[in-house]
Amino acid sequence: MSGIEAVRKIVETEAQAKRIVEEAESRAQEILASASEQARNVRQTSTAEAEQRKVQRLRETREKAEADARSSDVETDSLLENYKKLFENRKDAAAKKAVELILGG
Amino acid sequence: MAESLDKLHNRILSDAKLKAAGIVEQAEEKSKQILGEARAQAQRDADDILSRASLEAESIRRSILSSRIRANRLRILDEKNEIVQSILRTVEKSLSDIASSNQFDSTLKRFVAEAVEAVGTDNAVVKIGFRNADKKSLQSLGQSLPKGTKLIAEETAVDDLGGVVASDPEGKMIFNNSFRARLERLDNQLLTTISFAIFGE
Repeated sequence: MSGIEAVRKIVETEAQAKRIVEEAESRAQEILASASEQARNVRQTSTAEAEQRKVQRLRETREKAEADARSSDVETDSLLENYKKLFENRKDAAAKKAVELILGG
Repeated sequence: MAESLDKLHNRILSDAKLKAAGIVEQAEEKSKQILGEARAQAQRDADDILSRASLEAESIRRSILSSRIRANRLRILDEKNEIVQSILRTVEKSLSDIASSNQFDSTLKRFVAEAVEAVGTDNAVVKIGFRNADKKSLQSLGQSLPKGTKLIAEETAVDDLGGVVASDPEGKMIFNNSFRARLERLDNQLLTTISFAIFGE
């Protein structure tokens, strides 16, 4: 092999080596770009899921509170009904005592 | 020479491949790090969202419950108040009709005695007025009053419900012993009495 031939082969080899490194760098860029994209997706998905759970939690809380509030309404209705019965049963006695108080006080 | 050239060729390529592998490996490590950090940040963001959701949920729960409980307390108070007012109307009716009851004479005498004593003068002026009261029976009361006391029997009920008002002759010292005045003086006691009689509390 002549000297020129040898130099040419070395130059070709260097060029091939350079391509190998450049391809690797390109691949590395792709890997990092893909990682960034995946990271963005991970955060978006996670945030979306959390927001969905938040909406669900608020809806459940509201429903539970409304149910508790209805229980309070029912309890109050029952209490008011009881007051009406007490009033009917005791109004004459109450008025009598009040009149006695005014007359005697 | 050809052999050493081949070695050099292989060496150059081998170094390049090694370097390339390092670059890719470094990128993959960096990629893992980026994803790891993203997952950790995503978890923190999610935790933050859910933490704020918990606070918001508690606020919503309190708002719904407290407004309803407040409204129900008001309903209870309104009902109790209406019951007490109803009893008070009955009481007022009973008091205004007292002239036709057998308690009238004793009550009248006691009211007059209290009023005269409160004014504390020998020549008190006593005005009495009850609905449906016989004026003659009112005037007959004058015989039982201390000497010097002037009795005035009104045609109409004093303060709407009836009662007695005593004063000194100049009208400077007045003691109102009408039913209305007694209702006002005994207001707290009256409400307690009615409330206890109806609700036991």
